[in-house]
Amino acid sequence: MVPGETPLIVRNLRKEYRVPGGPPLCAVDGISFEIQRGECFGLLGPNGAGKSTSMNCITGFYPATAGEIRLMGYDVFREPRMARQALGVCSQEDTLDSDFTVLDQMIRYGTYFGRKAELIRPRAEALLERFGLTEKSGDLVESLSGGMRRRLQVARSLISSPEVLILDEPTTGMDPEVRRVLWDIIVECRAQGLAILLSTHYMEEAQRLCDRVAILHRGKILDCAPPQNLISHHIGEEMVEEEIRPGVRWKRPSNLEDVYLKLTGKHLENGSHA
Amino acid sequence: MTALGAIRCVWLRYFDVYRKSLTYGLVTTFTEPLLYLFSFGFGLGSMIGTVKLLGVEMTYRQFIFAGIVAQTLMFQGFFEAAYGSFIRMYYQRIFQAIAVTPITLSEVLWAEIIWDASKATFSSTVVIVIGVVMGDFSPWGALAAIPLCFAGATLFSALGLLAAAKSRTIEEISYPQYLLIFPMFLFCGVFFPLTTLPVYLQWLAWGLPLTSIVSLMRTLTLGTPLQAQVFIVIAAWFAVLVPWSRQAMSRRLIK
Repeated sequence: MVPGETPLIVRNLRKEYRVPGGPPLCAVDGISFEIQRGECFGLLGPNGAGKSTSMNCITGFYPATAGEIRLMGYDVFREPRMARQALGVCSQEDTLDSDFTVLDQMIRYGTYFGRKAELIRPRAEALLERFGLTEKSGDLVESLSGGMRRRLQVARSLISSPEVLILDEPTTGMDPEVRRVLWDIIVECRAQGLAILLSTHYMEEAQRLCDRVAILHRGKILDCAPPQNLISHHIGEEMVEEEIRPGVRWKRPSNLEDVYLKLTGKHLENGSHA
Repeated sequence: MTALGAIRCVWLRYFDVYRKSLTYGLVTTFTEPLLYLFSFGFGLGSMIGTVKLLGVEMTYRQFIFAGIVAQTLMFQGFFEAAYGSFIRMYYQRIFQAIAVTPITLSEVLWAEIIWDASKATFSSTVVIVIGVVMGDFSPWGALAAIPLCFAGATLFSALGLLAAAKSRTIEEISYPQYLLIFPMFLFCGVFFPLTTLPVYLQWLAWGLPLTSIVSLMRTLTLGTPLQAQVFIVIAAWFAVLVPWSRQAMSRRLIK
């Protein structure tokens, strides 16, 4: 890594899926963005917009149809081993290893990065403590609640001290209290200089955590800017009036959700944007 | 980390899981071949007496010992790879979790096949050791049979991985199990010489990989004449199944 080099660069990424007996389906259509050190970049979009496909390409798991992805300067498709040394991934699906206890799987996962088990144990224990899972260290994954499993998966993504962190809907299934703990951890990671790519369905989460947000729809980035800029540009500073149930209307400050709904063509009831 | 180091790292993950549940692992690994061995080798073997195969006379126990070594590596290799890898791919998503680390999916799949083959080789070797202890196998021949066990187990592990990759549900693995594995178990010379079958069934049996592995196993452990076609058949199945299974599983996982 050359000092100052951009941790994650995505250029003209295009991904088409094979469709038996039909033309290929374009899931990601030429998107480009970069993420700097200490930046949290949000990918927002409805289901099927291409968020997870983009993330799977960025990890190098799915080959891109076209385009270039560089992680810490390494081409993720040509030099996957070098590129992924710097990568931590928390995927949308539960990929925890149910054959190991909580602590053992943290350590085991660290060995996939070429680290020695005995050297990685202190970090694994520290991460479990930070994520409030120390008491569960010796338990198998199946005994954990859904929220704990999600926390463990995020903790595991940090085991190799990554420089680029990919979080695909990390707070799904978490209760509000635990979600806030995870938000704090993401803020800490950002402060430590990690480049974070975050996909989420929670607009409040994106607005709170992300320095910049890209709204993705049908494989294309519709707009990309800091959340407040997106709000100012697409909605304005005025209060938004909406009917929350028949006969009950309220006014509230505009937010990222309004931008999301406007850009993706899913308008609020009565089309009541100010 | 080199490619070999990556494969070793994933292999060790499998070994650790096996080691952590050693009792279960040992029971499932050894019970089946030992049951066949005692039932057919000692039970049926005491009734049948001797068998003449390719001009070499041997006891039925010797005959079936070699067959059960081959059957063990087929069952253990296929079932571990088919059901085990389906669970790891579909339910546990272990392949997907590891393949976003510096270890590539290709290395994960090599480790999967090699682990399944290692476990099957381990089981088969136990049967071989019993054969040597019982005086049915020559020690040097038995030693030479171990690499054959690994090669054969790799072939059947690849078949299992292919079955997992092509099955939409875990139940669908029953198709190759009942249509390929069990027929091989029954008709590829494990229990009786192929010459007792109608000619067309003999031809069919020779097209299947287990027949060649059983034949070569008997050559190595009992000194029966080498049937040269075994190398062609094993090599052909190997050359088809190993790349096909890896490609099929990759296509299943990578869209």
